[in-house]
Formats: sequence, structure tokens, C-alpha cells
Amino acid sequence: MVNLIYPGDSISIPERTNVVTGPGIYLDPKSQHLKPINVGIEVIDPSKRVTSVYLDFNSKRYIPSEGDFVIGVITSTFADSYRVSLANFSTAVTLSYMAFPNASKKNRPTLKVGDLLYARVSKANKELEAEIECVDSSTGKDAGYGHLDGGVVVDVSLAFCRELLFNNDFPLLKLIGKRTEFEVAIGLNGKIWIKAADILSTLACYRIILDCEKQPTSQYSEIIKNRFKELANSAD
Amino acid sequence: MAKDIEISVSQGRFLIETLKQKVRLDGRRFDQMRDVDIELGKDRGDVMVTMGKTRVHCRISCEIAQPYEDRPFEGLFVISTETSPMAGPQFENGNNTGEDEVLCSRIIEKAVRRSGALDVEGLCIVAGSKCWAVRADVHFLNCDGGFIDASCIAVMTGLLHFKKPDVTVSGERVTVHPPEEREPVPLGVLHTPICVTFSFFNPEDTEENIKGESNNEISLIDATLSEELLRDGTLTITLNKNREVVQVSKAGGLPMDALTLMDCCHKAYNIVERLTDQVQRVIKEDEQTRNQYAAILSSENARES
Amino acid sequence: MADLTDFEAKFQVLTQVDGSARFESFGTSVLCSVTGPIEPKARQELPTQLALEIVVRPSKGVPTTREKLLEDKLRGVLTPVLVRYLYPRQLCQICFQILESGENEQFHSVRELSSCINAAFLALADAGVGLQNCFASCCAAVISNADQDVLINPSAEQLRNASSTHVLAFDSENGREPDSHLLLLESSGDFEEETLNKILDAGEKACLQTVQRLRQALKTKVEQDLVWRT
Repeated sequence: MVNLIYPGDSISIPERTNVVTGPGIYLDPKSQHLKPINVGIEVIDPSKRVTSVYLDFNSKRYIPSEGDFVIGVITSTFADSYRVSLANFSTAVTLSYMAFPNASKKNRPTLKVGDLLYARVSKANKELEAEIECVDSSTGKDAGYGHLDGGVVVDVSLAFCRELLFNNDFPLLKLIGKRTEFEVAIGLNGKIWIKAADILSTLACYRIILDCEKQPTSQYSEIIKNRFKELANSAD
Repeated sequence: MAKDIEISVSQGRFLIETLKQKVRLDGRRFDQMRDVDIELGKDRGDVMVTMGKTRVHCRISCEIAQPYEDRPFEGLFVISTETSPMAGPQFENGNNTGEDEVLCSRIIEKAVRRSGALDVEGLCIVAGSKCWAVRADVHFLNCDGGFIDASCIAVMTGLLHFKKPDVTVSGERVTVHPPEEREPVPLGVLHTPICVTFSFFNPEDTEENIKGESNNEISLIDATLSEELLRDGTLTITLNKNREVVQVSKAGGLPMDALTLMDCCHKAYNIVERLTDQVQRVIKEDEQTRNQYAAILSSENARES
Repeated sequence: MADLTDFEAKFQVLTQVDGSARFESFGTSVLCSVTGPIEPKARQELPTQLALEIVVRPSKGVPTTREKLLEDKLRGVLTPVLVRYLYPRQLCQICFQILESGENEQFHSVRELSSCINAAFLALADAGVGLQNCFASCCAAVISNADQDVLINPSAEQLRNASSTHVLAFDSENGREPDSHLLLLESSGDFEEETLNKILDAGEKACLQTVQRLRQALKTKVEQDLVWRT
């Protein structure tokens, strides 16, 4: 395996470069040294103007980070904002009524408690409550965020979600696409929302995603074939 | 419970829709229990029960204590079911005052202790002054529904597996023999009650359920956590292999009619029969591996039957 | 002779928590679960750092002062190794379930304590909670003979005949000896200063050896975690 790093190990960063640290790397406030704090694969990417350093590891608990796409459930409403849960038992995040397309004092969003939504993390600071938005804040226009109606949410690990969203060559969604039409939203908080044409196909997708998380990609065609066949049989 | 798991409206709707199509999320039939795996530890009375993702550990232990004054001929038997956040963050440590926790421990208590599954009179050593106090400590390790069913299997397997040290009594003097000196003796287990939990879902509105004739309610055996969170009612039936109904527990929820209840009992019996056989098979296999030479060393005559 | 730092580790034995590990060695078996960072209750919250909720549950009977004492010692070991200031006003729940004690619970808790510390390292790493360093623990017993022999990870039988018992925990930067720090030293019984030095030397060696093996175990875990990459 590529370079596996453990907490407290030393990492070699090219000197005199601007470094951006990602997950798993901590700037020790006392010594001012960068140190790894998780068990993961070391990634040092000097290709851009600044060198990015982070650890690639899998986990289950989501910590909000600015720019992430997330799927949340509305847990309560306030005078000017919603409280949204991104992960069970985690601190809820805020979604302002103004963070919607065409929002104004009069024009209020119509979401209810228990609704699912797709959003982007707009502010994330470890000391403060995170905020999310359902609008492209640079243009103020609709950007595909908002209420997710119907369908089902599959809970998977965070690294699997990242792979699905960022790796365009990852075969899972393409393979499912050969069997059925579907809509999908991938939240980096470990949630995948999927909705196919009918309820049984959606269920097939649900089981496929759960199975595929534990299997190498070479098995995917087989899993997908079996899962669809099994539901076609049960419908008879 | 400390804090609840958040469930979205769509998740609930999706579950009901799939149930209407007669399929479950994990692909089981409505009346299918998850496969139960029973693992026995090195010590006697150490049992790990795994049912799908649900995991329960049970440990039986005993010590010498004083019997209750009003019951001088009976030993003591306690089942402790305490939750910890290990099973899931929704459980609070040591706080068993929540409705679900209380109900869960009461049902297990009724199924095993109050049904007389353990012969407490056999625990008496010296009437009125010394008896065995047997404890069953149930540890909920992972919660994916079906804690009651899994715990009941774990406690019963533990009681069947456990052996207490042998004692000799001469007057008021009691000698406890360590296992090296004398073979420990098994507990007197009178019958093996097994719990089967049904979960009910109402695909129509409540009014239809009470007044209507359609009987569209859906009943599932051995719900997983996501099914448990969304169910409208629950029923736990405890039976033993002799077709004796030990307990029927239905605390509120969806109203049921009598025929459904009978139907559930029949379904439960088949499961109970299978599980009792499994428990006994596991115990027997363990006995054989522990005591490989018993057959050779036995002085019993090998009679031809 | 069997390697005394030998153990068996299993990961992700539990699904409802963020990280879990089962640590088994010579008759002692401990299950550890980690959930966090999550929202704390108001009374647990610390304004600048991660709050810890540590729960130890015995295999037999209800938790008593003995378990409270274990919780307290574990808190002392875990607090400095966690990157606490990264998660202000958050909570981390760490639960330990003793499955098999492997010692006489009435008199000893050294095997349980050292297994708990090792299990905690694995479970915290599994959960992805930030750690300053890798760490490991071992226990030791001194036999009451003329040489004052030090036994690392003694059995229940050896503990019964020991004149003193000790638990040690070390962390290690880079897994190397010069960079290791003592996290915990718990001793009970009669012993001399010279013996204690002997114990510290032997214990450090054993702990670093255990760290190496724990790291090996974690490597297999990472491979399993990212199985869909293959």
C-alpha cells in the first residue's frame, strides 16, 4: 500500500512552500509543527500553486467543512431559520430562510420538519455552529439544492461518498444506470439519496449501494444483476 | 433515551411503500427471523448472541448470599439489563428510566424469571441462612432492533450453559468445592422460554384501522432498528417448546383483532421450536468439545438400544 | 514461550457507533466503542475543548467504585493523547465493556486496565478522532523472590503470587523509543525504587512492541475500509 501514516509520525513536506492542510493534519499550536492525527494514506499534492497535505482515511462521523455538499433533515423551525441535522447526535446546523433562491422577507421557503434537503456548507468553524445554504451564493440563483422529495437515503461511510462524488471513473452509478433510470444526490456527510422510477427499483438501488460499500469494484456487476433479479422475483 | 435518531418523512414513506409491495429493506420475508448466532465463551455462562447486526452479551455468575426472610427455601435470581451508549448513542449510561428500557427489562424479567425458568428452590443451600444468588448480566452491545428476543435467548443459553460450584453441607458448615476438586453442577432449568417480537405497521389511516373491516395492518417478525423506529405497534409473545404461552405483551400501539393474535402465536411457535433446538444443539456441541474424553472415561455400560 | 504482547484485534464489531474495537489477549477480552465528536449535554460541555464521557462496564455485576476508578485512570491516559482543542464544545463517548476479565476481579484490575487502553487506541483510530500520538499499555507483576523478577502481562495465577502489580502506558512519536513518553504508571504492593526502574525499562520495551503490533493491525483495517478501491 502507499504511504500509510499514523498519529504522531513525522511527515516530510517540501520546504518553503505554501501549504494548505486538509483532514488528518493538525498544526500543533505549541510547537508550530504539522503533525498527522489520524491513521490514513498520506497525500501531498504539490501540483497546484499551493501544496495540499492531507490524510485519506475512512470514518463515519461527519464534521462540517466549507463547500461540502450535504444531505440533511430539518429538525425544527425558527423565526428566520431552520435547524438541520446532518448526522445523528451531531450538533445541528443552521439554514437561514434567506439562503434560498429568490428569498425575501415576504417569500419564505415552504419546507417542514422532517423534510430532506440537499445543501452546501457555507460556513464552518470549529468554534461556531456551521451554516448551510440552498442557493449558489455567488450568483444568488438556484443551483440544484433544496428539497429532496420521495426516494430513500442510504447511510454509508464518508470515504465511500467522497469516492462516488469525486471519482468520475467509479463504476457504481454507471452500472446502476444501465438497469434503471434514477435521480441521485450525494451528501459528503455519508448520505446518498436515490430515487428510481418505481419503489422496487429504488429498493434495489438501496441494497446495491449498501452491498457495494463492502465489496471490491470487480464484484459490482454481479451484485447489481442479483439484486435486480431478486426483486423482480419477489414482485411476481 | 438521551437523544433520538432523526428520521426524515421520506424514509417513513419509503418503508411503508415497500411493505405494501410485500418486501422488506433487508430482503427478508415478513415472518422471517434473522439468523441467530450463538457463541459460547471459555467460561461457563458466557454467551454472545448475534442476530443480524444486533449483538447481546450475557454473563451468568453466582455467589453465596442470604435468602429473603419470607422465602427461606428459595435462592436468589437477578437479571440485570442496563444500557450503555455502546449499543448506540441514543442510550444513556445507567439510566434505565426511559419507557423503552423499562419495558424491555420487564419483558425479559417476566419471560425468564417470573415464568419459573430457573428452579430457585434448587439454589437453596441451608434453609433460611445460605443460598446461591445467581445473576444474569445482559450487556447490550449493538442495537439493530430485537433486543428483547436476543436477550432472552442469551439469558436462557447462559443458564443452560452455566455450572455452579458443588457444595457439601454438614450442619451449619458449608464447603464450596473448587472446580478442580469436584465437577460443578448445572442449574435447574425447568423450561426454555423464547420471545418473538412482532411489529405492526398501518398503511392506512388510524380510523380505518379501528372501524374498518379491511385488516390491512402489516405485521413483521424481528424488526430491525429502522423498522422499530417507524412502527405503529408491537407485540411480544413468549412461548416454550411445550406450546405453553408464557407471556403476551402488547403495550399500546395499533389495535389488533383476536384472529391476528392467534395467527401470531402460531407463527411464533414455529420459530420458538427451531430456536430451542438450536440452543440445545449449541450447548451439546460445547459440552462435547469441553469434555472430549467423557465418552472414553465413562464407566457407563454401552448398552445396545 | 508465547509472546506476551500477543493479542487479537477486531475492528468495526459494532455498527451503531463511530468506531469500535475488540482487544483480546490471554484470557482478557475488552470491547471498546467510540462515538464522537457529537453534541454534548449542557453539563458535559467544555467551552474550549472536547469533553470525554468514559464508561467502563464489568462483565459480572453492576458497575461499582472499582469501575469508577478505572474510568478515572482511563480519563487520565486518554485526555493528553486526544487532540482536544480541535473539537471545542463537542463530546466523545468512549465505552468499555469487559467481556472476560482474565484476573480475579476482587483484587486486581491491571489486565483490564491495560487491555482497555489498547482497545481505546484502536477504537479511537477507527472512529477517526484526532490523536496526538500512538500509544499502548502493558501490565507487570513482580514475583516475590530474591531477584525480584519482573513479569510483563502476567497471568491471573502469576498476579495472585505477585508482591506488587503495575500498569504502564507509553505513547510514541514515530514508534521510536527516544520519543516515547510515560502516560500512566499505576503501582500497588511493596517494591523498591530499583525494581521500579526495572519495571519502567521492561514496560517501555513491551509497550513499544505493542504499538508496532497495533499499527500492523490498523494497516489491515485501512485496507478493509477502502476495499472498493481495489
